[in-house]
Amino acid sequence: MAMNRRDFLKVSAGSSGSLVLALSLPGCASVKTGFEEKDGRWRPDAWLELTTDNEVYFTLARVEMGQGTYTGLTTLVAEELEVAPSAIKPTFAPVASEYRNPLYKLQLTGGSTSLATSWEPLRQAGAEARELLILAAARVWEVNHRECTAFEGKVLHPNGADSLAYGKLVGLAASEEVRHDIALKPREQWRYIGKDRGRLDALAKSTGAASYGIDTDLPGMVYAVVSRPPRHGARVRSFNRDEVKSLPGVLDVIDIERRVAVVAGKYWLARKAQAELKIDWDNSEALNLSTGDVFAHYHQAADDDDGEQERSDGDVSEAVGSADRVLVANYEQPYLAHATLEPMNATAWYRDNGMEVWAPTQAPDLARIAAARVSDLSPDDITINTTFLGGGFGRRLVQDYIEEAAAVAYRVKKPVKVIWSREEDTRHDLFRPAMLHRMKASISGSEVTSWQHRVIGPQILDWYVRNAAPAQYPWSPKFLYDTLGKIGLMAEGIATPKDFSAIEGAVDYPYKLANVEVRHTHTDPGVPITWWRSVGYSHNGFAAETFMDELAHETGKDPYRFRRDLIQHQPRHLAVLDKVADMANWQAGAPSGRARGLALFQSFGTFVAQVVEASIENGEIRVHQVWCAVDCGQVVNPDIVRDQIEGGIIFGLTAAVYGEITLENGEVQQSNFHDYLLMRNYQVPEVAIRIIDSAEPPTGVGEPGVPPVLPALGNALFALTGKRQRTLPLRVT
Amino acid sequence: MALSLTVNGDKRTIEVDPDTPLLWVIRDELGLKGTKFGCGAGLCGACTVHLDGQPVRSCSTPLEIVQGRSVTTIEGLATDAGLHPLQKAWVEHGVPQCGYCQSGQIMSAAHLLANNPTPLREDIVAALSGNLCRCGTYSRIIAAVESAAVDGASESTRDGA
Repeated sequence: MAMNRRDFLKVSAGSSGSLVLALSLPGCASVKTGFEEKDGRWRPDAWLELTTDNEVYFTLARVEMGQGTYTGLTTLVAEELEVAPSAIKPTFAPVASEYRNPLYKLQLTGGSTSLATSWEPLRQAGAEARELLILAAARVWEVNHRECTAFEGKVLHPNGADSLAYGKLVGLAASEEVRHDIALKPREQWRYIGKDRGRLDALAKSTGAASYGIDTDLPGMVYAVVSRPPRHGARVRSFNRDEVKSLPGVLDVIDIERRVAVVAGKYWLARKAQAELKIDWDNSEALNLSTGDVFAHYHQAADDDDGEQERSDGDVSEAVGSADRVLVANYEQPYLAHATLEPMNATAWYRDNGMEVWAPTQAPDLARIAAARVSDLSPDDITINTTFLGGGFGRRLVQDYIEEAAAVAYRVKKPVKVIWSREEDTRHDLFRPAMLHRMKASISGSEVTSWQHRVIGPQILDWYVRNAAPAQYPWSPKFLYDTLGKIGLMAEGIATPKDFSAIEGAVDYPYKLANVEVRHTHTDPGVPITWWRSVGYSHNGFAAETFMDELAHETGKDPYRFRRDLIQHQPRHLAVLDKVADMANWQAGAPSGRARGLALFQSFGTFVAQVVEASIENGEIRVHQVWCAVDCGQVVNPDIVRDQIEGGIIFGLTAAVYGEITLENGEVQQSNFHDYLLMRNYQVPEVAIRIIDSAEPPTGVGEPGVPPVLPALGNALFALTGKRQRTLPLRVT
Repeated sequence: MALSLTVNGDKRTIEVDPDTPLLWVIRDELGLKGTKFGCGAGLCGACTVHLDGQPVRSCSTPLEIVQGRSVTTIEGLATDAGLHPLQKAWVEHGVPQCGYCQSGQIMSAAHLLANNPTPLREDIVAALSGNLCRCGTYSRIIAAVESAAVDGASESTRDGA
């Protein structure tokens, strides 16, 4: 449609018809695009909304849980749109197919994928909107659009004097069409990408204004607390409903599946009443394991079954048979809790044949399935409002807390907020799986001739498909949800995709050895598990990089030179390894009384090398300094890369020194921060981080800082004490 | 019980169950959501507020000791003159990640600076070791408190001159 200056004035004056176009995508497109004249709002695509008041809204489809999507993804769209990131208002995305993570075909935030998967599409979206605005301005000015440029929310006239603000152009831009390829800005023209800039959410998070799930407040809202079975799998046989229901402030006491909810007008009255709740649990199908049983089970499973071969290079049997020596070691790693500082919570309101949910969730489309399961609604009747998340680390990929709130809301027909206590949050977490690793290597002379890594333990997808599979088919009838979950029908009709959660970081062993074998014995003791910051990489990294240290020691080589000699063929590994050795002045060694350990590890496409300097002081492990070199491709926000890597280091050190969930006859033994310890301010080491300059596509940084720090610390303690620790958490020996 | 208290300078009287910890009065009765629930046992510091200028863990503070006294929450830290120097420093240093613990961190730090305008690094670490941060923002917290202390000290020098 051609439009001249007069038409421009008409549209600007709001006298022409509305131009709302439906975006036509196959499947279930649900985001309306186009120009809404009465609101003066233009949605060029699913991501951006520009108003006649010069406001720019950006729909953030990857949730903000601390990892920096709020700033990082906004920066991508800002760069091409030619609007400062700070002038853009991010809003949390509703559930819509456009907002799915293309890697998972689910709308979830995890796997350190947000930046990598948004890098092209968001810059493209910004560029296309900018181009439409330029076309509109060029038509108004009757000049060649190629001679117009955009700068800080305005299109600039070729004469260098005139300009039009985007707000004046939105109505016109909606009817323009881009007929040419739009080149994304070259690296040297970037104004925002790669620059140290603040976080867009820092102010709201420094004044108490940022709203988390737990801060949801609705008119007439009531509170529920939920008693869950102390042993996973137990059922409610009976409980003293009438007695508890008569307590002050209590509105109802409800039996929801395997749980009992106390509903009250005030949170504290619900808690007080819960203390009087007596539930008779039927434990006939409940978990009855203790931690020792789990590892006995793993060893038995490993003895009985060699498992699936996941990688095989050369001939490990032949190498072992002809070796001078064979080194064998078992590594045992515990269950770990997430301990997000915001406990699990969700608010739900069932009314008018629909339900609205407010929750800190990493997977809003799975949340919709969870709410549909426990109500008479279909996913389309359920609206999920995502908030800021007070930490995620994988815990909020599971929607159990939302299912609870929805189940209670469906019964009480009032807005209801379910809040977990810290004790409930710890005991009813789904844990990073405990794993057993059987390592074996052969040595001839001073050379390692083979590497065998056997991973023994469960796979996370087995626990995750229940809601993930239906979320991929939200139109499927609800009676099929469990069938979909059971058969693991995921990823557009292909049976369950390969689950790498147990073997990630093991199969991709990077060192140049002729004979390498990786096997997985898939066995599940029935303890609830899920994703946890770096998941499989966390336990495989500890086993592999500690065993590498053992081999360096056994062959009488320096741990840095040993790795360096075997990684010549991997330039990005080599670069971070050399960089960290230089940063730490590795050759100089540690001061007296301290020792250093090193680890090199790739996860989520990001290369990380770390040196840890530690000692033992007053009977405690003391980490003095961590040096870290990281290559995550093109950096969008260096400040956030550094804070994510440093945060990952603290997270990993916390696991290395303290992390352990134990079970006694099926009951979790830890409950709060006195027995599930987190590293505190006085324990934090100096951390030095260098980012390798790179123009490779960006990769994730939320998780990759975690895995190497566990073996690096363990290796430092070995250098200090001469005693090798193969079980986590590390102890003072 | 009828609880009378002053919150961020405003006198309030509230009818509330006497066993309710201060935290839930602040959040649910007064509607000030910046103070966070983390552990309910005084172990994490997310709920830190000032009671007559002293930092307390509001999740474990009984109402009888609050009666008639003055509470300051994160919402009461800024003044008409603008953000508290710590809040400015938090933004400049990009301290918050998930941000959930930061109200408590800032309230602990504000008490430190009110009583010790030029703290040593050890003072800062000691004052803030009761506040957990799961994201691991500790080193930025220390840097932000140090810079707020420097700014505060230079301001008071100017004021004195």
